[in-house]
Amino acid sequence: MTVLIGVVQALFLVLAAPLLKGIVGRLKARFQKRQGASIWRPYSDLLKLFRKDDLVPPTASWVFRAAPRIVFAVIVSAVAFIPVIQSSALVGHKGDFILFVYLLAIGRFFLMLGAMDGGSAFGGMGASRDALVSTLAEGPLLLAFVAVSIVAHSPTISGIVQWTLGQNFFDISAVHILAFTTLGIVALAEAGRMPVDNPATHLELTMIHEGMVLEFSGPSLALIEWANAIRLNVLLALLIALFAPWGMAAEITWGGLGLALGAYLVKLLVLAVFVAVIESSVAKLRMYLVPDFLGVATALSILAVIFTMIAKR
Amino acid sequence: MEFADVAAVKVVSTSAVFLMMTIVLLAVSRRISTSILVFGLQSAIITAQVAGTAYLERSAEAWVVAGLIFVVKVLGIPYAFFWLVAKLKSRRDVQAATTPAQSVFIVVVMIFVSYAAVRSYAFGIRVPEDALAASVALILTGAFLMVSRGKALMQMLGLLVLENGIFLAALTTTFGMPLIIEMGILFDVLIGLLLMGIFAFRIRDTFEHLDVSRLRRLRG
Repeated sequence: MTVLIGVVQALFLVLAAPLLKGIVGRLKARFQKRQGASIWRPYSDLLKLFRKDDLVPPTASWVFRAAPRIVFAVIVSAVAFIPVIQSSALVGHKGDFILFVYLLAIGRFFLMLGAMDGGSAFGGMGASRDALVSTLAEGPLLLAFVAVSIVAHSPTISGIVQWTLGQNFFDISAVHILAFTTLGIVALAEAGRMPVDNPATHLELTMIHEGMVLEFSGPSLALIEWANAIRLNVLLALLIALFAPWGMAAEITWGGLGLALGAYLVKLLVLAVFVAVIESSVAKLRMYLVPDFLGVATALSILAVIFTMIAKR
Repeated sequence: MEFADVAAVKVVSTSAVFLMMTIVLLAVSRRISTSILVFGLQSAIITAQVAGTAYLERSAEAWVVAGLIFVVKVLGIPYAFFWLVAKLKSRRDVQAATTPAQSVFIVVVMIFVSYAAVRSYAFGIRVPEDALAASVALILTGAFLMVSRGKALMQMLGLLVLENGIFLAALTTTFGMPLIIEMGILFDVLIGLLLMGIFAFRIRDTFEHLDVSRLRRLRG
């Protein structure tokens, strides 16, 4: 039963990702006083792309074909580490957070390779920028995980979630607040959202992710876009699981699971509104200010790790 | 224990952490308006802490102090600052001498220094270490803002942050000063803001900018 629910929640993260993207887009449109597209639009976009031809530039090698598949496969395997409606994930007790972080990193690495293999100038520019951003984001991401896992005495995401579930809501320590802020900043950078990258346009010279995907088309593009939507969904689910897991089903009953799903959806909606507010109110940072932005996250994560020594809890 | 009691205890014990977050935010903010908002947020956290203490100690005076702080520091001073910024029509950045990342590292070091400084002392007099460390960190950050930001308004803001730190230290070590002294201090802060406001206008009129690092020469 636990395994079955694990499969269901992994499928949920994969299949609901385009819906989350649609909802964030719709909320953004509303904040900007536009009507906005339907929240189901990303699904029809994906369907349309899957039916089209896969065009490959004549200069590209097999890497260009393989990159989208690898990106998608890697992000789907990262999904299996995230608890959603119960405190254990599909493979939650087999791999620790370091594996999770580097699964995300492998995905980015192959996307960069594919972009550079495509042969266009924009692909190379986007890839080099993405390399900068992901290098700077990796440190704070790992350190925030380290801080939380020191407090919870567990290296696996499921273990951390189970420990947090046993705590009182008010007992959240300094470490958690600092680590939450760090992971929030890193999630925005990792998912390519607003202060770091603008997901709404591919007409800017400063684009990062959109620059990398310019050469892809058809099913390849669909896989990359879907993987990117899953990445946002996974990072938000991770924030919820690590810092606000209350409501997750402790034992498996239908009522408990329903309650857990409801609580999860409410929390996800709050985060989606938050992302939409940030995206409509903050201007994109200049490329050379991004290291400063992520430097703040690094400082916060170092502070979080050192606070694990100071805090008595 | 009642839910309200638990909430009050936790507000008092966790507010130190949120105060440290505001310290980091002050270090990264590039614009005067952001700094003012963060200062208002910081004062609101201190208000919550005073209210929590008032609830736990069942003290009417502390409720009055909480109300006064809310009116003066959360509403009054930020409003006055925004008015000043609008009137002065100067550039919006704080003219920092350090980059945001450098500032963050400096204030993080300051937080550690304040923990190291209060560690033995807090244990001796049985007060929460976090809150005392946060107050020392606020004092240090206020001083840091005053020396590292070029814009004349930030000197005043640094002084106010420093004052917040002193107030918090008094609150955590003695559960607040007598009401009459609190009112005197708040009045002092308001007069200080008034004087600094007039001074900022004079600086602007004489030098046509507000950068204190460029106040080298005398002008008639």
